Amino acid sequence: MLLPSTRREFLRHSTRGIGLLAFSRFAPRFLVQSTLAAPAPEKDRRILVLVQLAGGNDGLNTVVPFDDPAYHALRPTLALKQNAILPVSDHLGLHPACAPLHALLKEGRLGIVQNVGYPNPNRSHFRSTEIWETGSAADESLSSGWIGRYLDNACTGSPGSTDPDAIHVSAEVPQSFGGEHPHHTFSLSPGAARAGSAETALLERIAERDEPVLGGNHSFLRATLMDALVAEKKIQRILDTAKPASPYPSGNFAQSLRNVSALIAAGLPTRVYFVSLGGFDTHANQANAHSNLLRQLSEGLAAFQADLVARHLDDQVLTMTFSEFGRRPVENESRGTDHGTAAPLFVMGRDIAGPLHGAPPDLRVEKNADIRFGTDFRSVYATVLDRWLETPADAILGAHHERLGFLG
Amino acid sequence: MSAPLTPEQAWQPLPATAWDSAAARHLLRRAGWAARPDDVARAFADGLPATLNRLFPETPPSFPRPVFMVKAETRLTELRPKKRAANTPEERQIIDREERELERLASVEFSLKWLQAAADPERSAYEKWVLFLADVYVVAFEKVRRADYHYIHRDLLRTLGAGPATELTKAISRSPAMIDYLDLSRNSRRAPNENFARELLELFVLGEGHYAEGDIKQAARAFAGYRIGKNGYRLDARSADTGPKTVFGQTGPWTGDEVIDLAYAQPAAATFLPREMARFYLTDSPPPSEFFAPLGAAWRASGFALRKLCHAFFGSTVFYHPDYQANYIKSPVHYLLGLVQDLRLDLTPLPRSTLQPLRQMGQNLLEPPNVRGWVGGRLWINSSTLAARRQFAKTLCNPLDEGTLNADERLELTAARDAGRFRFSVDEDRIHDLASLGPRGVADRLCDFFLPVAVTPAYRATVVDYLDSGPKEEFEDRVRRATIALLQSPEYQLC
Repeated sequence: MLLPSTRREFLRHSTRGIGLLAFSRFAPRFLVQSTLAAPAPEKDRRILVLVQLAGGNDGLNTVVPFDDPAYHALRPTLALKQNAILPVSDHLGLHPACAPLHALLKEGRLGIVQNVGYPNPNRSHFRSTEIWETGSAADESLSSGWIGRYLDNACTGSPGSTDPDAIHVSAEVPQSFGGEHPHHTFSLSPGAARAGSAETALLERIAERDEPVLGGNHSFLRATLMDALVAEKKIQRILDTAKPASPYPSGNFAQSLRNVSALIAAGLPTRVYFVSLGGFDTHANQANAHSNLLRQLSEGLAAFQADLVARHLDDQVLTMTFSEFGRRPVENESRGTDHGTAAPLFVMGRDIAGPLHGAPPDLRVEKNADIRFGTDFRSVYATVLDRWLETPADAILGAHHERLGFLG
Repeated sequence: MSAPLTPEQAWQPLPATAWDSAAARHLLRRAGWAARPDDVARAFADGLPATLNRLFPETPPSFPRPVFMVKAETRLTELRPKKRAANTPEERQIIDREERELERLASVEFSLKWLQAAADPERSAYEKWVLFLADVYVVAFEKVRRADYHYIHRDLLRTLGAGPATELTKAISRSPAMIDYLDLSRNSRRAPNENFARELLELFVLGEGHYAEGDIKQAARAFAGYRIGKNGYRLDARSADTGPKTVFGQTGPWTGDEVIDLAYAQPAAATFLPREMARFYLTDSPPPSEFFAPLGAAWRASGFALRKLCHAFFGSTVFYHPDYQANYIKSPVHYLLGLVQDLRLDLTPLPRSTLQPLRQMGQNLLEPPNVRGWVGGRLWINSSTLAARRQFAKTLCNPLDEGTLNADERLELTAARDAGRFRFSVDEDRIHDLASLGPRGVADRLCDFFLPVAVTPAYRATVVDYLDSGPKEEFEDRVRRATIALLQSPEYQLC
């Protein structure tokens, strides 16, 4: 465990020892003062919510260069009409289904980081997702995720706590979460079925039994399981009694965000949440499918932000979307698009500094060629790690990446 | 607590009178992945020696090169000269990318195919033995990025894993994966590299403390010039060191093979591998080397015949001692394949359904964390890996959600179904059949089939009470959930 390097970390450590310090006459003044001043844990944390757009989001039809003749030439059937676009700048606008995001943009709560990708792009879902989740270069293979390495560095949570460090709304643990050291991660079912307690009822009863007696390994397994069940019960209780402060649309994605909001509001020390929206691999008949997805995404994100605002938590939460790649500028024979390279991503929070970051892609590409990226995704990570989570970004990413300005 | 055994008592063959169903169950769960009732019945009826003959046969089953790997190799053979002839870094990069992707896909397919072979109950014990050997003679894909090298390496372990350990070790010293992994390719007369020599003595033959630093230095010289050529191993005469070396007090112009023979002549060689077997199959804390002396002596006398070692080890009295029953934490591979066998399923042939959960449980098949292999034991278990195990059990007990599959995955499933493998998860019919046994019957079936110990009536009553608690219409749901709970239980993580 690294020594605390930020005031926040120090405070987190010292709140555990507050009893001792308060009674010590010999503690240095500044220590006593700072521990007395230690804010309650809920106030002293910054949370990151990652929203994965799984399948490869068509960035070009999300943030649209509506007056670029190349755009219309490349997409005879898929290009969006100028009068349908929601304007963001003189040359760019959002897909019509993104109206709720458009509103957030106007309020300064949403930013678009343009043309995000990486050198030597890989168009395999599996491999490119791995690159994004591990924060690696295209020619290296890392076994840990960028969030896992963040958790390694951040000494989150107190020893003996069963509260999770990171929560994902999916069955599988995202590769982003894997660190060098084990961390408490927690899986929330998409849609968080209330059947949770029914599922674990028998397991709990079995775990509570004091027999069979099978030795040290068995006790260890039982203890680990009990810890996990305690965390699950706590989280289930939070979700069962949660009332959103603001309405959400129906659908798994929105419900997942609603549950994330409830957990944040309950004061869990969890720092990172991961939610996934799938279906973006629009190889054929893209128009309606993409529209539906963007609507789900936009309505869900907007409802989430409104809920956070209503609960006065919006200053603590930064939300960020990511996708393993964008899609090819030229549409294919099936009114869809094939795997591409870079795409824009969204950042959402209370204080986003400006609607547009980075430069839009150059569409002057050969017919079947791909966009060349402009902003390295690791710069986005570096900005989040450094300016939001206040951890050593360069160490976590293994190299220095330029910070972007979306957090001021 | 049973009386401890002396080394002499420990390695006596288990008396035939002690061979009962419980012993058979213990053997099958430890030597393989699971103890299905019919396999237990057969083993019991056959007796221990005949069962050992079947589990550890004289002629190991073969494992042909997977189809994709063959195709990938053809393409890679085309690419390699193209890369050498490339004029610009950009051209090389493009070829690099394709190479990496092919190697990755080939290694994924290799792991999947191995899991399928290992899931076959007729092969499980021998494949688990191959896995044990792979955990001794470690190579990792992270460094050795050639899927075909891993195939060759694993195949050496398989084909030579029943014969003399000396021959196996010599062949491994010439395995391309090993030459790459332990830097033999960099070992030359002028600049000896000690990596392989050290691991040879420390990790393959003798164990720490049974050689001197000087032995390593001198032994390393004997392996100078080992290279990977077009057709595998070749000796580069210019880099080889034909001068006299003094290893374990013996001086001579030793070759690599002769150094290996000298190492096996050391006393520690007789007990090192047997103790590693005990660590892999029996207990997290094996007794000290001296305890293994009688077993080791017999093994040495047999010419280090590995098959004989397996028979002696798994046929010994100590292997069945109560102290070593039902308290060993299953590795992720063991848990996964045990589940597939216990539930009588076909392995879902998709990386996402098998390799990914395995990785989340903490085991990436071609990537042992370091030269020592997997440490195992309690290190397998933390909140995340336990959650991954629970999730996997739940997945297998619910209908496969084909809606989330991509096009390639659907093709794989179709191919598997065409080949007669379609039972990827526990379906409604099977739950229905199980439910027809009634609450007591279900509880008994689940406890007796899955758990490594006979549980008390009170334990069974817990399960029965759960099954009885609730509306009749939802009984089958509860049966399904009870099945999942038992497979997620602390008890089921043990063997």
